[in-house]
Amino acid sequence: MNTIAPSKNSPMIELTGVRKNYGNYEVLKGIDAEVARGEVVVICGPSGSGKSTLIRTVNRLEEIGSGSISCDGNNIHRPMPAKELNRLRSRIGFVFQSFNLFPHLSAIDNIAMSPIRVKGVARDVAYAKATQLLERVGLTDKANAYPGQLSGGQQQRVAIARALAMEPPVMLFDEPTSALDPEMVGEVLSVMKGLAADGMTMMCVTHEMGFARDVADRVWFIDQGQIVECAPPEEFFSRPQTARAQRFLSELRH
Amino acid sequence: MISDIIAIIRDYWLLLLIGQYPNGPLGGLAATLMLSVLAIAFAFPVSIALALARLSKSPLLNWPVSALVYFTRGVPLLMLILWGYFLVPLVTGASVPSFLTMLVTLVVYQGAFLSEVVRGGIVALGHGQMEAARALGHSYLGAMRYVILPQALYNVIPSIISVFVSTIKDTTLGYVINVPDLTFAASQINNQLLTQPFQVFFILAAVYYVICWSLSRVAVLTERRITRKRAGTAAQATAKSLKLAALTDQPS
Repeated sequence: MNTIAPSKNSPMIELTGVRKNYGNYEVLKGIDAEVARGEVVVICGPSGSGKSTLIRTVNRLEEIGSGSISCDGNNIHRPMPAKELNRLRSRIGFVFQSFNLFPHLSAIDNIAMSPIRVKGVARDVAYAKATQLLERVGLTDKANAYPGQLSGGQQQRVAIARALAMEPPVMLFDEPTSALDPEMVGEVLSVMKGLAADGMTMMCVTHEMGFARDVADRVWFIDQGQIVECAPPEEFFSRPQTARAQRFLSELRH
Repeated sequence: MISDIIAIIRDYWLLLLIGQYPNGPLGGLAATLMLSVLAIAFAFPVSIALALARLSKSPLLNWPVSALVYFTRGVPLLMLILWGYFLVPLVTGASVPSFLTMLVTLVVYQGAFLSEVVRGGIVALGHGQMEAARALGHSYLGAMRYVILPQALYNVIPSIISVFVSTIKDTTLGYVINVPDLTFAASQINNQLLTQPFQVFFILAAVYYVICWSLSRVAVLTERRITRKRAGTAAQATAKSLKLAALTDQPS
């Protein structure tokens, strides 16, 4: 199809004039932005600003009204056969706020199932890979535990491993730590830091400003469906340019 | 009274068990069991297909199937059986064996009821599971097969079983179109004896009770087995960590 071989310099994710309405309410009012290969972008903003909607449009869990989004050289929102969309989606890792592990499968089955069923990977290969991924997220001893037997932090780490099992070149995180008890936030963030250090391209909606400061290459501040500021974290946190960002940051500190 | 019942069983056990066979069609308990098993075996996959069609966004699938389900659920089973029995030969000109008429009617009727149970189970799961599966690249049907249905069907096992049980009980209605099942055999016996209807139909009730009760038991055991399988590793894990704690925790 019209897949252009992605060059090393082309951005991993490219959003052009992305607009979306829910009825009369405009959630996204023309988003233009890029995520470079290997870049970690943290998206923050007040609730209802459209940040979750934005990240969900990148793997087309949400449709857009107009504009275009490309990921690794593929236009995600063009009309295409369902099969093609499934293939593109399998190359974009997504981590949900509410984990959404499959409760009828053990941790290792959660991780190995999709490579086997979607990509046709051989069982032994998929399970060997799943074992590696469990080790990577520090849950080797929980391979046979079911999601109901895991803490929130452990579930989210399995969910990250599950997304990584498809070997996507890009990972999206939609408030991955917002549903966690405070003492479990650290374990999930450290897995994400590890990913970033390995050069994964990441887009992450989060309220963890410490994570943004340490790991992000850039912070996008979204308000009322628009990217209001887009800057490296040290610049964004020390010298926010707009009044809205200043207000947001001062409210976070309280 | 009890001796009457024992006498009836002694005299007519073969008729109750297999009907007139081999001098006539296979009947009695054998026919009832066959009809029940086949009806359930076909109604179950049919119900999943109907449920998926009703959940479909395509009006081409959704509307006719919704109409069928509403219609079937709103009409007494006896009407459907009689229509099947009288209308199908009129329309097609072919004479259809009453066993087959009964089987198809039961599959359609119970399939419609069961489809609502299955659909309820799917809807109750919420969006998260489907979204997670789609985000991993599963197709819609793949997500249904590997993620949604295993959970949805498990969650509605009790309702599925009650539909199965009522399917077994509804096979008795085949009596009105001369399906030679257990009920038919019992009424033949009653017609011969004339004086002992209570005793004859007591045997009938007892046999149906045993069949339905066994099915309910199987369901309970299956449910427990799945629950245990899903919880089993937790029990092991706690047992392990307890042992470990006993070894490492030393009184100071």
